[in-house]
Amino acid sequence: MPDQGSSPRPLVPESAPPIFEVSGLRKSYRLGAVTIEALRGVDLVVTRGEFVVVAGPSGCGKTTLFNLLGALDGPDSGRVRFEGSDLGRLTAAEKTLFLRRKIGFVFQSFNLIPVLTAYENVEYPLWIDGLGRAERQRRTEEVLASVGLAGRMRQRPDQLSGGERQRVALARGLVHDPRVILADEPTANLDSKTGAEIVELLARTNSLRGTTFLIATHDPAIIERSPRRVRLLDGRVVADELGGPSRPGGAR
Amino acid sequence: MKFAVIALRNLARSRRRTLLSLLIVAAGTIVILLTAGFIRFSFEGLREAIIHGGLGQIEVVPRSDIANRGSSAERPGLPGLKGWQELRNAIEATPHVLAAGGLVQFTGLLSKGERSAAVFAVAIEPDRERRMRFEVKLREGADLPDAAPSEGDEAVLLGTVLARNLGAGTGDVLTLMSLTADGTLNALDLRVVGLITTGLQDVDSRIVKMHLASAQRLLATREISSLIVGLDDTSRTPEVQAALERRLGGREPSLAVVDWKTRAPFYGQVESLYLGIFWFLGSVIFALVCLSTSNTLLMSVMERVREIGTLLAIGTSRAQVAAIVLLEALWLGVLGALAGDLLGIGIIAGINGLGIQMPPPPGATGGIELRLTTAPGDFAATIVLMLVILGVAATVPVWMSVRLRIAEALRHV
Repeated sequence: MPDQGSSPRPLVPESAPPIFEVSGLRKSYRLGAVTIEALRGVDLVVTRGEFVVVAGPSGCGKTTLFNLLGALDGPDSGRVRFEGSDLGRLTAAEKTLFLRRKIGFVFQSFNLIPVLTAYENVEYPLWIDGLGRAERQRRTEEVLASVGLAGRMRQRPDQLSGGERQRVALARGLVHDPRVILADEPTANLDSKTGAEIVELLARTNSLRGTTFLIATHDPAIIERSPRRVRLLDGRVVADELGGPSRPGGAR
Repeated sequence: MKFAVIALRNLARSRRRTLLSLLIVAAGTIVILLTAGFIRFSFEGLREAIIHGGLGQIEVVPRSDIANRGSSAERPGLPGLKGWQELRNAIEATPHVLAAGGLVQFTGLLSKGERSAAVFAVAIEPDRERRMRFEVKLREGADLPDAAPSEGDEAVLLGTVLARNLGAGTGDVLTLMSLTADGTLNALDLRVVGLITTGLQDVDSRIVKMHLASAQRLLATREISSLIVGLDDTSRTPEVQAALERRLGGREPSLAVVDWKTRAPFYGQVESLYLGIFWFLGSVIFALVCLSTSNTLLMSVMERVREIGTLLAIGTSRAQVAAIVLLEALWLGVLGALAGDLLGIGIIAGINGLGIQMPPPPGATGGIELRLTTAPGDFAATIVLMLVILGVAATVPVWMSVRLRIAEALRHV
């Protein structure tokens, strides 16, 4: 049975080193005259290679948590450590390199660059990181093939279906071989069949590449098959459950 | 893939807006090109009219004359340049010199019967003036003959207004009185062979032009006031001036080598007036193009807030985002300026083809045909100018794009 306690102790799966160590994370926003407390003290530890679903209804703080994990925003208080170093202490240039090399994002509405082809969208992170042309081409073609888009590389986003766009976005998130993929509602804009295919792809990538996945969702299909489920409600972690399939793909 | 390519593709996204911006930049370019062409036409026309109307590109004159009477073109006085034929040979051996001609300027009283007028007399060598490609604008009769007139057969050209005032025409014999070098009053009978205009009414009412030999006879001298030097190309003036200064350096009396611009202060005034107008117009164009393109650039940034947030989230630095926005502006500048230059060439060809007659400028008596000219430098200058304008126009959009907060930008709808 899932732990329904109001402030569960952070779960630390044995053996693997932690990739994220989150403690006492608070963040509030001003929306007009109202202050919204999006996160009210979140503690979380994620180890390398995990596949974690962060579940909860809209407005529970999932996106805010992901923004803080990805150093896209800073907390009011509390701390996010990535592989032992405090993200709050990064300079602007270090933050850019962190985003460029350590993290891959997958967004709900894909957020592809509309003027770039599928190939160019995927190649982009390697290009801004200064990789040589041959190496870029090799990695871009490989990752596009791994998400099943080998034949759709020259298309621009508006010529692709929703599922194809999300595959391109995933390929863009993976191409630089990041430690972590932060996927915020990756299936919310897709029909259930396409959504299931994307989840399958995320799970397979996790098991094949060992990339750590954090997926924010309220899609029961994803939540059920995930080996670890962190439930957020009103800016707090209300449950952190292990169990279910050992691998989200269910293959092993 | 390059940021310049991304910027260009971004421009292609909203074609109508980009086209409008390009039109604004092109229009600004055309206005600048046409204005520069018109100003150059005015400068060149005025310059060549002054030079070939009798001023010449260079004057070699005793330094004492300049000290006593200033350096402007009209400088009547007793001639004081000795041994000038030898000096002339030296000058005419200088490269780019077409010829050099003796000049005597003096004032006198010209009479026809009971009517008299104070005149400004210019005595020249007609054959040398022809070699210097000077133009005599004859309204009636013929030019002065090349050969020095024999005594008692002196010829004169009258300004048209002066002739009217005196009631004189070609064939009339008039008497010119002036003071000789030793201070006695002398008179000479001159037959009017033609009526001339200088283009300036004020000058036409008092000018008489005669052969150098006639003036020397009247003034009882063998000297001249100065030597006028004509060049094959006005742009060679500084170089020939320097060469002459070197060549004539050790002579007595000490000689000044004066260029046409110094002798025509009027030209400098016209030039600064026109340049003032040009800069004013340029500033207006700058402000108009800058404000309107800045607005469209800002719109295109505001429409792409989430996209820029995404670029930042996947590791694009803020400087790189700034580069994309700036490059969009610079593309608009260079493409708009190129389009404007091409259209401008066509418009200028069209205007020149029409053969438009410009009304005579104040004080002048004849109109001139409008011929706009362009220089290769104009095109380069318009492109550079538009790049600068668009660079300035991009400052606010660039600033807006780099200060975006990523998390907020990603929430932007």
